[in-house]
Amino acid sequence: MDFRDTMQKVYSWACQIGNLGLWIIWLLIHFAVDLWYFALHIACAIESYLISSGILKRYKALDIDKLRYLAIVIESEEAYHIPAVIQLLQWLVDIGVKHVCLYDAEGILKKSKESILGKLNNATLFEEAGESNLLLDHKHITLEFASFPDGKEAVAKAANLLFMKYVKLGGSGKIQEEKIFTEAHMSEALRAVGCKGPEPDLLLVYGPVRCHLGFPAWRIRYTEIVHMGRLKSMRYGSLLKAIYKFTMVRQNYGKSSFNYILLLQVVPHVLLKRYERTRDLDRKNESVT
Amino acid sequence: MISSLSPQLLIKPNTATTLSPIPHVQNQRFKLASHVCPSELLSIRKRPGSACAATTQHRRYLLFPAEEEEEEEREVKFTSDAPALAEGLQREPMPRHVAVIMDGNRRWAHLRGLPVRSGYEAGVKSLKTLVELCCKWGIRVLTVFAFSSDNWFRPEVEVEFLMSLLETGVKEETESFIRERIRISVIGDTSKLPKCLEELVINVVETTKNNTRFQLIVAVSYSGQYDLVQACQRIAMKVKDGLIEPNDVSESLIEQELETNCTEFPYPDLLIRTSGELRISNFMLWQLAYTELFFSQSLWPDFGEAEFLEALKSFQQRCRHYGK
Repeated sequence: MDFRDTMQKVYSWACQIGNLGLWIIWLLIHFAVDLWYFALHIACAIESYLISSGILKRYKALDIDKLRYLAIVIESEEAYHIPAVIQLLQWLVDIGVKHVCLYDAEGILKKSKESILGKLNNATLFEEAGESNLLLDHKHITLEFASFPDGKEAVAKAANLLFMKYVKLGGSGKIQEEKIFTEAHMSEALRAVGCKGPEPDLLLVYGPVRCHLGFPAWRIRYTEIVHMGRLKSMRYGSLLKAIYKFTMVRQNYGKSSFNYILLLQVVPHVLLKRYERTRDLDRKNESVT
Repeated sequence: MISSLSPQLLIKPNTATTLSPIPHVQNQRFKLASHVCPSELLSIRKRPGSACAATTQHRRYLLFPAEEEEEEEREVKFTSDAPALAEGLQREPMPRHVAVIMDGNRRWAHLRGLPVRSGYEAGVKSLKTLVELCCKWGIRVLTVFAFSSDNWFRPEVEVEFLMSLLETGVKEETESFIRERIRISVIGDTSKLPKCLEELVINVVETTKNNTRFQLIVAVSYSGQYDLVQACQRIAMKVKDGLIEPNDVSESLIEQELETNCTEFPYPDLLIRTSGELRISNFMLWQLAYTELFFSQSLWPDFGEAEFLEALKSFQQRCRHYGK
């Protein structure tokens, strides 16, 4: 019995030591991961500082004209921090961005439109701005305010407009659905219901989630989307880096520039396929006759 | 890989597992009526310090003794056909619908000095791997952006090659789809496809329509704007037939007519785009409003299990953050 008790005690001690050892290893792994993330955070902060202070020279040669229209999506809870939003817009003015669309799903920024415009110098509403004003003043910025109803709801309204037109013209019997409902007509109808903003080139998302939170879908076909993190941790350097990276991007828009190497690689295969198809058709015709 | 790890994802050693049902807590992202909430989900919680549950002696070392008692009082549910998950992946939340923009095939071939067709062929292999992983890990729907309506503007030779590749792929895999009970759906303007391919597509969609294990939606000759426009065309026909009034047209009516309504879960939970590009390129514009976007640096032929795991872990991390 004594021997058994002793063995049990030894076993119990061994288990406890083993558990403790595993627990220490687990803590060490977590510490290593936390350290890694901390190091990443420091690296980002340093990079941001270097960009902001102009030490990294390549960010000085920013071709801002490539960014014709910028959209900022802010998660609704963070949109209440109007001073942070104004700071962000001020940075954009300093960088030279001319047109910005501010979006949050619940329309908080729309409601704060007046205070935002009041705090910024040389800012006007996109709808009110004329082209002549924009060309003269380099530090001028136009702002568009959008919210969730400007997305799906607006598409439904535009569709209704087209349906009314369709019903009116339907009596002639010659009108087909394909002629009334086209992408071009939809774009026109969206402008008619008040969604006049162009497609943004770049969309920056500020918030915890990496989605565009219902930004007007019709307008973001080829928009570059970048997640910037939370608004409260925004940095000038990160903003400049995101815009700089965008200016270096080359888009094909689904098409490709013709190249002869591709032609040489693909043509034999295509010719073979065409030959096989013709041969099969001939064989079918022969069997029929 | 370490960059994708976080404290929440590392499984602690020698832990006891308790299973408890957690009624679905509606994610804030889905508070709008246009999104369907997932049903009740199973949660696996791992807690530290607990040793073998066989002896009461070890309970002294639990860090959360009060919670342990509460757990015991709860009813335990377990689903017998739960799929086996990879290390570090949790069963909840798992995306039900994943969408993928398969970009980077040609660049992959150029980097290796291979012909472009090798890139596309390698891309097909990646797709097969992804389908297997989705089946294994319980993802119900996978939508892949195979050919955009903008791609028709590519050189005719290239377009013909891609069409023949699609045709070959569908022919070779039809038996496998039937055997594995995979349902195939095709969205996009199929009237532009070559006649033989169009017939093949109709045949495979019809043959597999009753399969329920997994659904693969292939977007061919598709664009998000086209999807919306064709939905309006369909509604217009119903208006013409007097089935609905023009004023009754609403967002939900448009949603019902979108081509992605061929599935139980029309809204992707996660969108993955490969090759480092940061845009959605006219893909599922309406459906992606609250979809988590994951932009992977890998080229599509290199996108394998490790990369998919990274995307899923990233999705799970963000879900936990947003739920708090």
